[in-house]
Amino acid sequence: MALIEAQDLTKVFRRADKKPGLTGAVANLFSRRFIEKTAVDHVNLSIDAGEAVAYVGPNGAGKSTTVKLLSGILEPTSGEVRIGGVVPQRNRMAVANQIGVLFGQRTQLWWDLPVADSLVALREIYGVDAATYAKRLAYFDEVLEIGELMAVTARKLSLGQRMRADLAAALIHGPRVVYLDEPTIGLDMMVRERVREFFRKLRDDGTTIMLTSHDLADIEGICRRLVIIDQGRIVLDRDLEAVKDEFARERILHVQTATPVDLEDLRHALPQATELTTGPGPLSLTIRFDRFTLAAGAAVAGVSRFGDIVDFRLDEPGIEDVIRRAYAGELGREPDPQERPQERESSLR
Amino acid sequence: MRPYLALARFSAKRALTYRMNFALALFGVVFQFIAMLAVWRALLGDSSLQGFTWPQMREYLLIAFASGTLVSFFADLSMAERIRDGLVALDLVKPVRYQEARFAEVLGGVWIEACIVLVVGSVTLAAFGEPVWPRGASIALFAISMLLLIVIKFLVLYLCGLLCFWTQNYIGVQWARIALVNLLSGALVPLAYFPGWFGAIATWSPFGGMTSTPGLIFIGNVTGADAALLVAVQLGWVVAFWFAAKSAFRFAVRQLTVNGG
Repeated sequence: MALIEAQDLTKVFRRADKKPGLTGAVANLFSRRFIEKTAVDHVNLSIDAGEAVAYVGPNGAGKSTTVKLLSGILEPTSGEVRIGGVVPQRNRMAVANQIGVLFGQRTQLWWDLPVADSLVALREIYGVDAATYAKRLAYFDEVLEIGELMAVTARKLSLGQRMRADLAAALIHGPRVVYLDEPTIGLDMMVRERVREFFRKLRDDGTTIMLTSHDLADIEGICRRLVIIDQGRIVLDRDLEAVKDEFARERILHVQTATPVDLEDLRHALPQATELTTGPGPLSLTIRFDRFTLAAGAAVAGVSRFGDIVDFRLDEPGIEDVIRRAYAGELGREPDPQERPQERESSLR
Repeated sequence: MRPYLALARFSAKRALTYRMNFALALFGVVFQFIAMLAVWRALLGDSSLQGFTWPQMREYLLIAFASGTLVSFFADLSMAERIRDGLVALDLVKPVRYQEARFAEVLGGVWIEACIVLVVGSVTLAAFGEPVWPRGASIALFAISMLLLIVIKFLVLYLCGLLCFWTQNYIGVQWARIALVNLLSGALVPLAYFPGWFGAIATWSPFGGMTSTPGLIFIGNVTGADAALLVAVQLGWVVAFWFAAKSAFRFAVRQLTVNGG
């Protein structure tokens, strides 16, 4: 059985429909209208132990809500979550020791205490024995360099420092499942790369990771499976490499030639190319093709029959294109306006 | 037990972090205490009003000061703020029971408040002379009553804090609570001064145990079986509120919405 199971997971939020302006605010005191918004809509997920899953979607797609449902923080409107067979909402204590949560936008450090105190408090809360604690701390210091932060009060940390300390706080009890909600938000490039390396090690040690991020390098650098959610529904759930093979087949070859090449001639020589253009300048050529119908080498060879090649460069679209297409609704989702306003009037008069 | 001890310890440490804030809050309550003493001194003169002489009122006000100070400085806002900001999400993924964890945090700060009460109490006694200490069973009942007061004050704060799951703001809840508690607990005016029916409601309400009961036992206005009955009522409310709070929490977390991130 999978470690994390979500079945028909649905969360409907009710939010007050507030009218703008002061008159609107006064009117809202007496009569409120509510709009129901389905943040997560019949999501089915099954994640095995040791998997690293990227959970991706545009702003407001329901990513964070899903993570909060999966960690037992929010109560689903319908559907069910199981972690190792246990429903986290029903049995909070049993699940808590197995999961670690990092919300990039919120800290779990004690705000007015030094980092070291927060970690000791967490050690006690999770009942980590002294030897294991020392070992983990040494490891965190090695990869995250938290040693220098230990004596600093949490509220005085910079964002990047806070994130490193928060990572240690989220993982000090050695959880089997880690939810990372935008873990690299606001980090500089150096720290970002170090944190990614840290997650890769974590993954290789058998920890199950679910990561939400807008950073494509996070996704490609850490995860092996890609789940895309849009408007609360999963629109794609596949192996990352397979997705790239299937959806990112297009290659773009940029060639500089010594003499101008006639496009018509080239079109006859390379009928598989999907698009041929010149420019900027008469000596530059751009060739788009599907890598399964035309090999890059054959494309280069094709051009070289009409002129000497001075330089060439091959563009390989990344996962970025796949995600962009998924957001644009090109990957098998029929467009369906999701917001179903169910208006209810309640009056205080 | 270990997680809760840690929470209590670090809550005490946090309480001692903001010295200036702490000093100002202390100044506020002590100032109010002195003001109350002055008002009642002027009102009572050398006479007795509804069974309170000036020395008795003085001691009653000291107990009112103690009940106002315990579980107040450090208990109040952090839970409500965490619910409003969504930080409660991180409390919910910890392997500790939510209510017990918050209680441990409050107890972590109580000893500091108890020290303040002892200092202010000693100064008052030095200024006005020894009180007539309650004797025998009364002193035991007084001690139990003060301990129950700590629990019931926590539970009232906790239940008000849980309201934030619905209101998303604590200020209104806090004002309502302070007004209600001050009036019905007898912290502002002893309950004997209210119209009979209203005084009776307040006495048997959960709020009566938040000042009036220990105060009256301490000054000897209530003794023996009557005192024991009032303490039993306090205990009843503690038990009832403890379990009511547990179910309120189960209901409240279902209301939780944590937006963004």
